Amino acid sequence: MIEMNRVSHQFSIGKKGKERIVPVLHDIDLRVEEGEIVAIVGRSGSGKSTLLNLLSGYIRPTSGTIRLADRNVTGLSEGDWSNFRLKHLGFMFQSFQLIPSMTAFENAELPLVLQGIGIAERRRRVMTLLEQVGVAEYAGHYPGELSGGQQQRVSVARALMLNPPIVLADEPTGSLDSDNERQLLNLIRRLNADLGITFVLITHDEQVAAIARRTIALKDGYLSNAPGKGAVSTDEIH
Amino acid sequence: MKFTDQFRFVRQNMKKNKTRLFMTVLATAMGCSFLIVLASVGFGLQKSIVDNIVGDRMVTAIDVFGIESDSGIDQSIGLDQVAFLRSVDHVKAVTYRNPVRQPLDPTVDGVPAHSGGVLNVDFDAETKAGFGLSAGRLPQAGDEAIVGYHIRVPAEGLKPNEEPPAAEDWLGLTMNLNAAQIGKDGTKKTTAIPVKIVGIASKPTREWMTDSRVYIGNETMNEIERFTGTQWGEPRTLPSEENKEGYEPPGLQDTRHFNEIQVIANSADRVKGISEQIRKAGYYNHSIADELEQVNLVFLIMKIGLVFVGTIAVLIASIGIYNTMTMAVTERAQDIGIMKAIGAHPSAIRRIFLLESAMIGVLGAVIGTAVAYLISIAVNAGLPFIIESFMEEQVPADFRFSWIPPYLAVLAGTISLAVALLSGSRPAGRATRIDVLRALRRDM
Repeated sequence: MIEMNRVSHQFSIGKKGKERIVPVLHDIDLRVEEGEIVAIVGRSGSGKSTLLNLLSGYIRPTSGTIRLADRNVTGLSEGDWSNFRLKHLGFMFQSFQLIPSMTAFENAELPLVLQGIGIAERRRRVMTLLEQVGVAEYAGHYPGELSGGQQQRVSVARALMLNPPIVLADEPTGSLDSDNERQLLNLIRRLNADLGITFVLITHDEQVAAIARRTIALKDGYLSNAPGKGAVSTDEIH
Repeated sequence: MKFTDQFRFVRQNMKKNKTRLFMTVLATAMGCSFLIVLASVGFGLQKSIVDNIVGDRMVTAIDVFGIESDSGIDQSIGLDQVAFLRSVDHVKAVTYRNPVRQPLDPTVDGVPAHSGGVLNVDFDAETKAGFGLSAGRLPQAGDEAIVGYHIRVPAEGLKPNEEPPAAEDWLGLTMNLNAAQIGKDGTKKTTAIPVKIVGIASKPTREWMTDSRVYIGNETMNEIERFTGTQWGEPRTLPSEENKEGYEPPGLQDTRHFNEIQVIANSADRVKGISEQIRKAGYYNHSIADELEQVNLVFLIMKIGLVFVGTIAVLIASIGIYNTMTMAVTERAQDIGIMKAIGAHPSAIRRIFLLESAMIGVLGAVIGTAVAYLISIAVNAGLPFIIESFMEEQVPADFRFSWIPPYLAVLAGTISLAVALLSGSRPAGRATRIDVLRALRRDM
């Protein structure tokens, strides 16, 4: 379960003493239930990536509270956030974010390495997941030797390696062709249905938004259904 | 994250820029090697100069002058006191040198030897203490004796630069010690006590000194005393016109006092402790341990100075390590960002980079130490040859210019490792502070 209560975020830009405050998110109230697929849509600069970064713990809210997997994560230290991230969150990025000097196998096993799991268990779990996402035969290949779709599958395998209850995806299909995009969306749907993983997808792609149960729109840092602000659209997808 | 995985990460990272790694390790190895070789000169000189002295009796001996008493120093040291001195911990031997109280006029094959007196010594104790011989051996039987290096110098002495006749020629010959005593009835009696010469004492170190004494053991001394009936073979003087009371020397049953007492320590480093212990018991004593301590202190200061100068070389090498690690962090910023993004703990990131700089330090230390040992061996082998060839000076056989004790290698390794960790700590700290979003190039 994901819960944001009156979360605001602002950046400070400019030189010291001449800073300018730029508000990005305003009093966000958001609740995502377990097993949901939620798409967050909005124009560039609307604050959707900032919202995902707040959920990832890469930045801290200026005000408000965030609860993830029944835990208040608002005031966690950087070290505690790291541990929480490793155990409870999986990440999918637009540009895959695989380490170029590591093979697909080594990239996928990274969460297991960080968790301190033994080599034999790692090998078994990595090969199982690479097989499930359909890139087992490329385990020994480096990212530069893989297509965009294959790299994103390796990235999905890495995201799911420690069975996280929540996966946060930032434009997961942004670098894929339509065929690979379709395959990835099917994979997300299957993982959600089979394993009950909660997905939060940042996208401006209608096809991605289409697999979500709920689409939440952001405009100028406000949720579309926030009272008193100009709503764009809020769809309930059944 | 397991140590083996951290190690694997480091190995992978190090393989990425082998040339840079090689140059950094080379600089560290050179610094470490310089440190060891520099300090090894101090260690080598100390070992060669001090240790040779330390092995000498001159350093391990404590001269005992007397015992504290109400009236000052009582120089009468008897058997009980000698027994006490022997019982002190770490005492190897207690020696004495009691002069026989008459000249004994030694002769060899009827030829008079111009002896400087006869001394009674305890050869068992002298064997342990290290009696210096120039030829022959120490006595093993009661009737054996040692003679001084200059025993054959004629009465009129030597001409300038003239070498004394070789005392060695008398080895194995019998020397007669002619004891005399005057009976209480005024009759003079004499006897010849034969001893076999088995050893020649070493030449006195000071060139103006001569040693023409005869050293006899306790059995021969007892024989002389049995003949004279007095302690140390001292002849009696009967009353006469000039000396109305005469002189009756102490008898064999009277309390006996020993002369020139020396306490010999097991090793030089025990001298100070023994000296303090017997001083507390009231014995006035002196040793050159205090002077040696000064020498050791000078060498200690020298060694610390050399290690300090050597450490500067390692510190210079640390600039290379710092640079390499900073470059490594910059180059791997994206990798670090990805790892942090998926849940790598900042401490794990720090450990990986510290491990990498530690490995550079260890590699440098191992290579540097090996090279330093090779240099040390080469210097010890080559320098005597150079000195003998070009300076026409003889270098003592066991002289070492450079000596690397194991703890010097360990110290240099520890310094290299510590400096490497210190150099790596700041880049490692920087790695933990890498901004995830900037590394992933994500917009906010």
